[in-house]
Amino acid sequence: MAGAEPLVALEGVAKSFARRLLVQNRSFALSGIDITINRGEVVGILGESGSGKSTVANIITRLTGYDSGRYLFKGRDVATLTRKESFAFKSDVQIVFQDPYGSLNPRATVQSSVMESLLLHKRELGKAERIARAGQLLEEVGLNAAWGDRYPHEFSGGQRQRVAIARALAVEPELLVCDEPLSSLDVSIQAQILELFVRMIRERNLTIVFISHDVNVVRLLCDRVYVMNQGRIVEQGQARDVLSRPQNEYTARLLEAVY
Amino acid sequence: MTHPTLAPEEPLLKVEDATIALRVGGRTMVSGVSFAVNRREVFGVVGESGSGKTLLTRTLFGLQDDARLTAGRVTFEGRTLPLEGYGAAVRGLLGHAIGYVPQDPFSSLNPSMRIGKQITEAIYLAKGWPMGAERTREAAIALMAEVGIPEPALAFDQYPDQFSGGMRQRIVFAIALSQEPKLLVADEPTTALDAITQRRVIEMMLDRSRRHGLAVILISHNLELLRQSVGRIAVLYGGQLLNIVPAADVGTHAAHPYTEALFACIPTREKALADIRSIPGEPVGAGFGTSGCAFASRCAYAEPVCLTAPLPLNAGITSGFSACLLGRGAQ
Repeated sequence: MAGAEPLVALEGVAKSFARRLLVQNRSFALSGIDITINRGEVVGILGESGSGKSTVANIITRLTGYDSGRYLFKGRDVATLTRKESFAFKSDVQIVFQDPYGSLNPRATVQSSVMESLLLHKRELGKAERIARAGQLLEEVGLNAAWGDRYPHEFSGGQRQRVAIARALAVEPELLVCDEPLSSLDVSIQAQILELFVRMIRERNLTIVFISHDVNVVRLLCDRVYVMNQGRIVEQGQARDVLSRPQNEYTARLLEAVY
Repeated sequence: MTHPTLAPEEPLLKVEDATIALRVGGRTMVSGVSFAVNRREVFGVVGESGSGKTLLTRTLFGLQDDARLTAGRVTFEGRTLPLEGYGAAVRGLLGHAIGYVPQDPFSSLNPSMRIGKQITEAIYLAKGWPMGAERTREAAIALMAEVGIPEPALAFDQYPDQFSGGMRQRIVFAIALSQEPKLLVADEPTTALDAITQRRVIEMMLDRSRRHGLAVILISHNLELLRQSVGRIAVLYGGQLLNIVPAADVGTHAAHPYTEALFACIPTREKALADIRSIPGEPVGAGFGTSGCAFASRCAYAEPVCLTAPLPLNAGITSGFSACLLGRGAQ
């Protein structure tokens, strides 16, 4: 990776949200943040609610815009991407959301949910190949390939999160953004999905942005971490160092508080 | 004489063989749960979703409309509550002898009433009107200061939406404590709160317990939080009581296989990645009954007997208990 440019570079990205009458906005402002993600890295973005960490996820995945600063993806300013490049971006960057109950189409079988992005982004694949690929992916995330014709409601929360991960991996994204992927799961299922992430990271050289409020999960899973508080990055560095010997006063308070 | 004097060793709350069924359909959800909570004790209840921990406590304290105690015996301060009309009997204790703090501080306060009024209302209910408006106000402000609300005199005239989740939960605590209960039941009181706020609220509660000799039942899905906060932990799974274990023993001494497996799932400060082991399969819901251990299908040690034998019940209401059919985690 010598001299390789970062996959993602946010340079002074800021965003504010207008407070409009009768509009409750649950998003949080960012003030001029810098984040770089290199290929093959697992980068944690750690913060409590209101810190702006989900806004970062939404900017990186281009689900939301920003007011100022620059966002370079593979060295290109995303503001200047052509239509075609923007389309390609959507398969390069995939997201896994917190709530596996809300993120899957209840009327689509899980197989068609997994295959949907292949239909759009891997047009060279025939139907049989798509089905085979979906089956492989379901197996890879620990589900049975034969369950492809079932609907999301037939699965538990942990299984749905596995489907969401299979769906995100289907197009072989260069970057996987995970926004609190464990938070809505039961304790024993959180550990299962954590183990799945560990295995995928080992086997698939993935680049991951892992958004979380859980200090211990970030310490165990991530190479580097950015700690956010009130829309700012207050500390960054190797996850193990930052989360065992914090330099910032807020990080220290957070570490002291977690059980 | 409705309140016989207690022997000092008599527990504050004794629950024997509690069985809880849904009113509609009559399905038994929680079976044969026995435990005792001593005066001044901080007692934890842990379980994953569907374990029956919330159903058990809400029914025991008369808050669950769609379920009822169908068998068992509940004794509070030496007085056994009747099974017939149990809900009404226990609700008679709720709000003065027993305080309750629900999970969600965003829906448990009246949004259109100033918080001072909500607290003084509780004080009036506990102590009656003759106290007078000025003294009640002073009592409310003192209480708000005690639960850690900054500038309580100012906060007195504000509305719930002017406070953060942590502050709202402190207000709920102030209301629950205003009646000077003997027992405080807190059902996931900090789950909706951020880590720093969570620790502050839990510590405020423990501090109050220490200084006023308040017994607490703290219900949580977070075994690590309980391990660091309470004295003993009751572990529920599938509507069964599987273990009562000293918090200090979790992770250090042998416990019921489920307690050990649950602890192995949690990334704590001390653990490396290799220390984390998930439990295969999915949690079973409440309502497993008492033939066989609900955890057997996921348990690493399970033997055929675990699937069929009657589950051991905590008949002696001992301070430690393991329901393991193979005798694991027995004291």
